[in-house]
Amino acid sequence: MVEKKVRIPEAGQWPDKLALPALAAGAVLTTVGFLMAFLFAAPVNGAALDTPELVNGVMVTHQQLISQKIFYFHMPVAIVSFVMLIFSAYYGIRFLTTREQRFDTCSRVAMELTLLFVIFTMVTGDLWTRFEWGVWWTWEPRLTTYLILMLIVIAYFVMRNSIDDPERRATYASVISLIAFVDVPICFMITRLIPSSVHPVIAREGGMTPDMAATVLVVMIGMMLVAFGLYRLRFREARLAERLQALKDQLED
Amino acid sequence: MGRPSAFAQYKTLLAKDLRQEFRTREMLTSMGIYALLVIIVYGAALALTARGIDIANMGGGLLWVLIVFTSLLGLGRSFAHEKEQACMDGIMLVPLDRSVIFLAKATANILFMLAVEVITVPLFYFFFMSGQPVAATFFWVVAPLLVGTIGMAGIGTMLSTITMNTRSRDVMLAILFIPLIYPLLYACVTATTAAIAGTEFWTDFFVMPLVLACGYDVVMLLVCWVLYDFVVSA
Amino acid sequence: MNPILADIYATVIPSAPFIIAAYAILWLALLVYVIKVVSGLKKTEAQMAVLEEAVRAKEGGVSR
Repeated sequence: MVEKKVRIPEAGQWPDKLALPALAAGAVLTTVGFLMAFLFAAPVNGAALDTPELVNGVMVTHQQLISQKIFYFHMPVAIVSFVMLIFSAYYGIRFLTTREQRFDTCSRVAMELTLLFVIFTMVTGDLWTRFEWGVWWTWEPRLTTYLILMLIVIAYFVMRNSIDDPERRATYASVISLIAFVDVPICFMITRLIPSSVHPVIAREGGMTPDMAATVLVVMIGMMLVAFGLYRLRFREARLAERLQALKDQLED
Repeated sequence: MGRPSAFAQYKTLLAKDLRQEFRTREMLTSMGIYALLVIIVYGAALALTARGIDIANMGGGLLWVLIVFTSLLGLGRSFAHEKEQACMDGIMLVPLDRSVIFLAKATANILFMLAVEVITVPLFYFFFMSGQPVAATFFWVVAPLLVGTIGMAGIGTMLSTITMNTRSRDVMLAILFIPLIYPLLYACVTATTAAIAGTEFWTDFFVMPLVLACGYDVVMLLVCWVLYDFVVSA
Repeated sequence: MNPILADIYATVIPSAPFIIAAYAILWLALLVYVIKVVSGLKKTEAQMAVLEEAVRAKEGGVSR
């Protein structure tokens, strides 16, 4: 019976050649998105005015907000962080089914990027909340869910540091990443569905106009490319460190 | 003589835990005393506001804080005996489906936690809520308590198995446990507060959170069941 | 400025520091991370070169 060979990811393969161009492309796209956010997308309506006014031939009836412009980066980083969590859970499953240590490395690197992008989400969300609502923190569903996610990812890394046996560490880490992957959407749903004064659901008014959607799309693609580039770079570094350690151990014998 | 069925194995493991607890009463007493101590800390914390606070509305939250921290204590100890006496190795030698161990341990933890809650809820009422008339809906508190306890025991057993072998075991358990049960906690506190306050539209805040908490329980227990084999064999 | 126009754009200046802060923190954090990863890579590659040299020297010494 021939056993199917499991293809394990390795650094230095073809995705690595794409890493730096992806990073550059991502940087360009996000800059374009940034400019679009301020120059192209229309500002969002704030509080209603007492009397409408004709501006540039258009009747303006509300205060124009530019603080909403933070949203154009806030949503893409939030989505990218969750995508990274999905990858981490996927590599966790691959590890549990194949017991290949390489998948554990992939899972860990993906989790690092999840943490990075979660911090971005919290920073942008917090600054936006601070301006809009005047408080530094509200227990609204999105911010709360991302706080919980951040705590889970930090717990993941604390746990990884406290176990020495690589096999056991990888198993536990994979299980935690899977549990986190299941828990985060539940957390989001529950805080959203249960009516409460402490967790206000901050409803966005209406849908997105096409120019807003276009800006968000540009920034989202840019952020995904940045995340991909960072992932490949970090994976290469992690692999190199592992091979270094293996060489050192070999030299010592 | 064939292999005993999974249910028979489950019953044996559960009976082992219960019997051990009846003999020593170690966990129940320590959890019970700990709950009492937390209530005393509440007494100090609410000292200045005791007359003024709306205990009917805050009672639910305070009760669940009590339950979470007592559970952390109990869950941290649930595998202590297995580890100290190396019973785990013995159990692993038996050819059984590992998830049965999870079920037996989780059931034992649920029973212990429920036993402690039977003591602490009246105690909480005695210390803080006897000054006001009890709402007619108070006894509906049993439902979120049950659902919440099942969920916490399930996840707690899984996390306790994971952190059993790490350094600084108890802190690790707390760090992992609290973020993961946050949605369950939130739903149960809402439902409990609705039941205790018993205002006119209390079912709005009771039924939906309870259903969501049940959903959480089902999903999380399923995930833990499936993954337990990997964890305990590591 | 026309008072109504002033009202329309009333939130722009107060919100500017927050917006600038948000984007600046994002950009800085990304930059810091990229620098960290790339410098980590360079250091590890240098260590790798040293080790390979050591291995080669050891094997060269043994097989002589």
